[in-house]
Amino acid sequence: MLSTIRPKRKVIFAYLLIPVALYVFAVFIPLITAGYYSFFEWKGGPNKTFIGFENYVTLLKDSIFWQSFSHNIYLVIACILGQIGLAFIIVLMINSRLVKFKGIHRTFGFFPSTVAAVSIGFIWTMVYDYNRGIINWFLELIGKGDLAKVWLNEPSLVMLLISIPLIWQWIGYYMVIILSAISTVDQEIFESAEIDGANSIQRALYIVIPLIKNTLLVCVTLCVAGNMKAFDHIYVMTKGGPGNSSLVMALYGYKVSFAQQNMGYGSAISIGIFIASFAVIGGVKLLVNVLSKDKGDDK
Amino acid sequence: MIGKRNTPSRMSIKSKIKFKTLSLFLNLILIIYSASCIFPLVWLFYSSLKVKRVFNADIMGLPKNPTFSNYIKILTNKDYHIYESVFNSFRTTILSVIIIVIFGFIIGYILARIKFVGNRILYIIFLMGMLIPIHSLLVPIYVVFNKTGLGNHWYTLIIPYVAFGFPIAIFLVEGYIKAIPISLEEAAAIDGSSFSRTMFLIMFPICKPILTTIAIIQTFSCWNEFSFALVLIKNQRLQTVPLAMTQFTGQFSSDYPKIMAAMFITMLPIVLFYFVFSKQIIKGMVSGAVKG
Repeated sequence: MLSTIRPKRKVIFAYLLIPVALYVFAVFIPLITAGYYSFFEWKGGPNKTFIGFENYVTLLKDSIFWQSFSHNIYLVIACILGQIGLAFIIVLMINSRLVKFKGIHRTFGFFPSTVAAVSIGFIWTMVYDYNRGIINWFLELIGKGDLAKVWLNEPSLVMLLISIPLIWQWIGYYMVIILSAISTVDQEIFESAEIDGANSIQRALYIVIPLIKNTLLVCVTLCVAGNMKAFDHIYVMTKGGPGNSSLVMALYGYKVSFAQQNMGYGSAISIGIFIASFAVIGGVKLLVNVLSKDKGDDK
Repeated sequence: MIGKRNTPSRMSIKSKIKFKTLSLFLNLILIIYSASCIFPLVWLFYSSLKVKRVFNADIMGLPKNPTFSNYIKILTNKDYHIYESVFNSFRTTILSVIIIVIFGFIIGYILARIKFVGNRILYIIFLMGMLIPIHSLLVPIYVVFNKTGLGNHWYTLIIPYVAFGFPIAIFLVEGYIKAIPISLEEAAAIDGSSFSRTMFLIMFPICKPILTTIAIIQTFSCWNEFSFALVLIKNQRLQTVPLAMTQFTGQFSSDYPKIMAAMFITMLPIVLFYFVFSKQIIKGMVSGAVKG
């Protein structure tokens, strides 16, 4: 710590005051407010009634909330497998000496992750559209027009269908992260794998994964945190429907609070989301910490 | 004997074929993947040059008589508020990023270098921001902004964007400054440079790389942010680009080419930004993500 230049306390205080106040106002005050209102029955109007823990009792028994939570978990798992898994496979391919245009693959692959989730949602709504969608157009093209569906109206398919844009959007992002980690790994592993064929690709897998394990774990953490807050593209694509079959937690809280004007219960849901996400993200972080310490510094 | 002599060359032809097939296969897959990433943008553009009737008849074909009529309709109709939306997004993004970078730097610097009671507590409070699931604040922040009358102003969105941008910015700056030897500042102090002078004129330029990373990450997250805009902005004239897009789909209902034209216009600034600076952007986003 610096002892030669010791600014006056006043100076430090002046520098910190505004940003800290702003931060507390936007992050902690809302949390406290939500905690407060969650004990009331409040429809957004001037009247509210104190009802103690009743909102929380309702929340614990609220099957829609838990369904939404399970959809978040579904997205997390689908995206860990899809985003990181596919990104890893693409990285193994891109690292091959035989591949050309590596720079272009990187630039293009990363591109979707910089686009607003809202836009991604629209584009994929158009892909799934019944009359003018690309999927049905393609089915028509190969003569299987009878398989055409109103895709996003299928309750059993909708979670899968909304995971696909999410996976597709972020593959490039994880690809670049893994690529930069792998560039520190000895390139001979890949070259020998190429010469010997598939068997050694498998061998490379067993060698490479442990070498970049820490980076992969960072990716998993990012992926979990990112998907617990899924909202934008689902809002655009299905608004949680059909029924509640693609509802996620944030969207449920939004619907209860704004569509049903049930601000008291909406606040309780917000606290529920806070606790549930915190538990999942925190749990994964702890697990990741344990796993990365496991074998010391392999970075 | 002949067979033996033939073996090496036959092997090499065989492995050559294997090599060629493998190379073709790998390149093909990757080209398909890359194409899928860029195709939506291309499709969006050439479809937006069709009229509705042509698009509905053939969704994939290139336009035979390209027309800018969709663009003209969108840009001349004041009800769509397209200029305002783009302007709002620019204003919100630029101001938020500037504030995040400057205050993120100041706080990060103070937390890294100055000993005072509560230094570590403050650091932890800011770090906690990275753990707090932001989407759980969606409803509460609406309630607070509504009560305090801060909702629905041109500056409304800057407040949460700045607040949620702070944690990662402070974390990155603090780490960056701790790695810089302190002797430089000591020398400056001996030469009579004041605290503020040292901070802004000496340390700020040194931190430029990490501040650029922060600016890049925040530019994208502010420009693309949707959920807070959705709950905090009710006035159409104040909406940002992502919010405007959800309006378009409602207003234009099934006129897809028109929606696509509107999307293309609103995406253009950030797409250009990306393709001009893609190298720095990719580097910045990734290093920020991994350290965070």
